[in-house]
Amino acid sequence: MLFSYNWLKEFVDGLDEVHSLSDRLTITGTEIETVTDLSGGISGVVTAEVATIEPHPNADKLSLCDVNTADGTLKIVCGAKNMKPGDKVVLAVHGARLPGDFKIKRSKIRGVESNGMMCSEVELGIAKESDGIMILPSDTPIGLDALDVLGLQDFILDAGITPNRPDLLSMRGLAREVAAVTDATFTYTAGTVEETGPSVDGLVQVSIEEGAPCTRYSARVIEGVAVGPTPDYIVRRLETNGLRSVNNIVDITNYVLLELGQPLHAFDLDKIGGAKIVVRNARGGETIETIDNVERTLPESVCVIADESTPVAVAGIMGGKASEVSDSTTRVLLESAYFIPTSVRRASKALGLSSDSSYRFERGVDIDAVTEALDRAAALILEIAGGTVAKGRVDLYPEKYVAEPLLFRVPRAEALLGIPIDPDEMASVLKRLGMGVAKKKEFEATGIEVTPPSYRRDILIEEDLLEEAARLFGYDNIPTTLPVAGLVPGGVSPLLGIKRQITEVLSGAGMAEALNYSFVSKDEFNVTGTEGAPALEIMNPLSAEQSVMRRSLMPSLLETLRRNLQVKNEEAAFFEVAPVFTLKATDAGEEGDSTDSLPTQRWKVAGVLYGPRWSMAWNYPKEWVDFYDIKGIVERVLEGVGVRSPMRLSSVGEADARLFHPGKSAAITLGSALAGSLGEIHPEIQSRYDLPKPAYIFELDIEAMAAVSSSKKKYRPLARYPGSVRDVAFIVKSEVPYSDILTSIEKIDTKLIEKVDLFDVYCGSEIPEGSRSIALRVKYRSIDGTLKQAEVDAVHSKVQSELSTRFGAEIRGDGS
Amino acid sequence: MRERLEELLNEARAEIEETGLKDALVGVKSKYLGRKGLLQGFFKELGALAVDERKRAGEFINTVKQSLETEIDSRLSAIHAEEQAERLKTEKLDVTLPGRARSLGSIHPVTRTLYEVQDIFASLGFGIAEGPEVEIDYYNFEALNIPRDHPARDMQDTFYINEEVLLRTHTSPVQIRVMEEHPPPLRIIAPGTVYRRDSDVTHTPMFHQVEGFMVDTNVTFSNLKGVLTHFLHSLFGDSIEVRFRPSFFPFTEPSAEVDIRCVICKGKSSTCRVCKGSGWLEVLGAGMIHPEVFKSVKYDPEKVSGFAFGLGIERIAMLKYGIDDIRLFFENDIRFLSQY
Ligand SMILES: [Zn+2]
Repeated sequence: MLFSYNWLKEFVDGLDEVHSLSDRLTITGTEIETVTDLSGGISGVVTAEVATIEPHPNADKLSLCDVNTADGTLKIVCGAKNMKPGDKVVLAVHGARLPGDFKIKRSKIRGVESNGMMCSEVELGIAKESDGIMILPSDTPIGLDALDVLGLQDFILDAGITPNRPDLLSMRGLAREVAAVTDATFTYTAGTVEETGPSVDGLVQVSIEEGAPCTRYSARVIEGVAVGPTPDYIVRRLETNGLRSVNNIVDITNYVLLELGQPLHAFDLDKIGGAKIVVRNARGGETIETIDNVERTLPESVCVIADESTPVAVAGIMGGKASEVSDSTTRVLLESAYFIPTSVRRASKALGLSSDSSYRFERGVDIDAVTEALDRAAALILEIAGGTVAKGRVDLYPEKYVAEPLLFRVPRAEALLGIPIDPDEMASVLKRLGMGVAKKKEFEATGIEVTPPSYRRDILIEEDLLEEAARLFGYDNIPTTLPVAGLVPGGVSPLLGIKRQITEVLSGAGMAEALNYSFVSKDEFNVTGTEGAPALEIMNPLSAEQSVMRRSLMPSLLETLRRNLQVKNEEAAFFEVAPVFTLKATDAGEEGDSTDSLPTQRWKVAGVLYGPRWSMAWNYPKEWVDFYDIKGIVERVLEGVGVRSPMRLSSVGEADARLFHPGKSAAITLGSALAGSLGEIHPEIQSRYDLPKPAYIFELDIEAMAAVSSSKKKYRPLARYPGSVRDVAFIVKSEVPYSDILTSIEKIDTKLIEKVDLFDVYCGSEIPEGSRSIALRVKYRSIDGTLKQAEVDAVHSKVQSELSTRFGAEIRGDGS
Repeated sequence: MRERLEELLNEARAEIEETGLKDALVGVKSKYLGRKGLLQGFFKELGALAVDERKRAGEFINTVKQSLETEIDSRLSAIHAEEQAERLKTEKLDVTLPGRARSLGSIHPVTRTLYEVQDIFASLGFGIAEGPEVEIDYYNFEALNIPRDHPARDMQDTFYINEEVLLRTHTSPVQIRVMEEHPPPLRIIAPGTVYRRDSDVTHTPMFHQVEGFMVDTNVTFSNLKGVLTHFLHSLFGDSIEVRFRPSFFPFTEPSAEVDIRCVICKGKSSTCRVCKGSGWLEVLGAGMIHPEVFKSVKYDPEKVSGFAFGLGIERIAMLKYGIDDIRLFFENDIRFLSQY
């Protein structure tokens, strides 16, 4: 909330200088976000009167004026044309400063001495445009500091008021707080209003229907008012808070709202059917046109103020157009009430309508100050708009609010804050805050009974008092001590470690970690996944682009890639570690409030490779990444997190079919669980993401990896005896998967075959169509002793015969 | 024989002298000293000589042989040294050309900061817990003393899946989930992704938080100050000034905002854009856990006490790395990412 330092001054004595006030408020819990000096660095500007205007002897466009000031008449050269003799103006005299560090000096302008400058609104920094110089009201005395006259000798403070302190949403409330936290004294006292009209009871009938969320309703009638413009000081104060001037009556209600925090509403009594006010819930199908010119249908949960037949206002939120105060209004019905906060909030949400009134009602106004505000507004109307106030006021307040006393236990407070507390000092602190305080005998010197005032309904429990004590005592005065605590088996969420390992492996492999939003567009959602499966949609997304929770990270990474290529970042390898979400089969469309109703969340890691395999540098082969690069990355991840079980590959399932090139991709199985997929993206996807070349991508389920990984490392003895190496090259049908060949060779003799390396795969001339040539290097070694040539020959010929009998391979030789 | 040997020696010396190439010199060596070399012929002649004549002649042949060997070898190593010197002179790289290495990858600055925060709390004995990002209203709000129709809900603009299910607006629900499962004492932090329906120059609809809490029989506000001051000193350096001031959160009472001295202007500039001239930067929200929160997890607020805190990782990362636009974190421009 924005408030004026000068206005605050009217409610307290001994107010601190603005910056120390601001610091003090911040450190006691009312955060002052900014302090704006309205004078904007202006000084030396005074009010003055134009005496005579003559043409400048040397310049057609300039005039030479005699200007009367408190210190005599000054010659001023002026370029404006809008003034006439007798006008009151703002004069910047020699030595004055204007915004932008602009200094005014006595100087010769086209040969004639000028002793200052008459200012426009723009030059004073109070308007964006102006038509010549600023002309003040004709009754302005001369010789005053123009900053005072213009209300610029002031500071505007922006206070962040937390939802628990609605009492601070007014000048009176702020003044009360300032007096409690500084040495200033709160000086505000409620005024009275002169009642000279007929009795209010004969003018209006008010009732609250059973069940309406209104616990106090008060009203006054003022007759014979003259609706018209509002005094400047009120307009200015309203404008500070972003309220536009409407007319004097409406402005006064808003002014009292800012001053006392109580929202008020003024009706044109002649437009209230039957001169009857009924506070009730809306009836089915009722509508109202509110003063913002919107026709609204009222749900039955919304409380309204109605006349004998129809709603004339949405209670606590906004008045109706039909009964608003207009230029022709003479009889005003002024309302001041207390509406139950939750009902106002519900109504405001239901209608999508909020206002300065609803903001305060839903946080809670001071129920005991309802009539005080009513009287204050009536007195102001009388003063500004004239008329007579009817005798008495309506005040329906069936159940007077009584605050519950709370027990403040000093030892408990000491234990929670970690400081010693003196009960008497505590009592005086609480008194400063307007609390009723009584010593409790049964707790001897240690218990204080505290009754919060009606404007502090946020004080509900003992801890709330504790905070009041602590903030006035000063958080800075509470010592800083590390706790002494027993060891608690800490434990780390099981996936955290593996996620961190993955991040380190992939960044070590040259990939950059990306972070994408968890919500994507419908289109992007449909890049992967089972077609037609329901999406986890956000009810109130910011945009359609961010409306569905993603079920795969891969589309996000392709989008990341696309955006990088757009800005010519052409070497790109990204990964992301994040959860994805899928609706449970049973909960589509079903609502519940238990964890069971939550969607499934699975942590995934995905990566994308694109561009040259090596940075396009001077001595690198100019090669592009391919399937085996992304496969290498996947292998590295699995190895890095200690996945023991081998990865098995099969064709990608239906869910990934749209994303991947069918012949250059695979689904990954770890143990018995489907754990991910990898491959080249489908040409359709490639063009969807504007990629000139194919990208290679993978996604792995981290939980599936965790299930088959182990961080345990087991020592394997090193072979001490020399081994032998034999190569074998053979031609075999291309459709025979290499992994089958490898597995069956390894099985021939698990003791003597130490290692099988693939060193060449070749198709092309000399090799029959549909076949390929494969060359392997087999390392034979025994842990028990040096192998004899004959032993090696025996195993190697088994390898050769396995190749030819099992896979139909044609052995070409030793591969050389 | 002696004369013939001396003649041979002279011939050989002349040949050694003439030969500048390694291979030719090896040829010379085998011509004179090889198994079928010229010196070998003299040894064969020895058998025809008288005994003492044979001995003297034998010694002389050996002398000739040794001096030839020495001379050839020294000539060979001289040639080798010349060749080596010549090679090393011509083999020269431009060492200023760039090295050959795979480009380094990077860990996102948000992740880096998360790790750093986790490690500091782990060193204080805090465990780490995680929870679902799509949450039910109860855990995100009600159990944290934020009832429906309460204005405190305006503090966190929420994405809803339906009336009961939402995207968590903070990681505090993890606090409830952990306390429901485990009795005190507890010391836990909960890092994770959170969502708020807010998107402008200073807000992204998704960001990261670490929430933490400690519950025991005698935890005080003074302890809260101790732990958080230690944390901020570990993160920003021991000399950073820390300030606690009252604030409001529905799930803590008393509540505090924690500020550090502006890392940019050190509180010395009234026009600083980072701290808006206040000299302070808000980095943490904290407080003593509200009794209503304890009641919702069936802890007795008369028997246990605790504190909780939460911090935004992006904000910390921005301050640590001097990043001035939060949106950079989610644009994933490689020129940004590769700086980390
Ligand atoms: Zn600063």
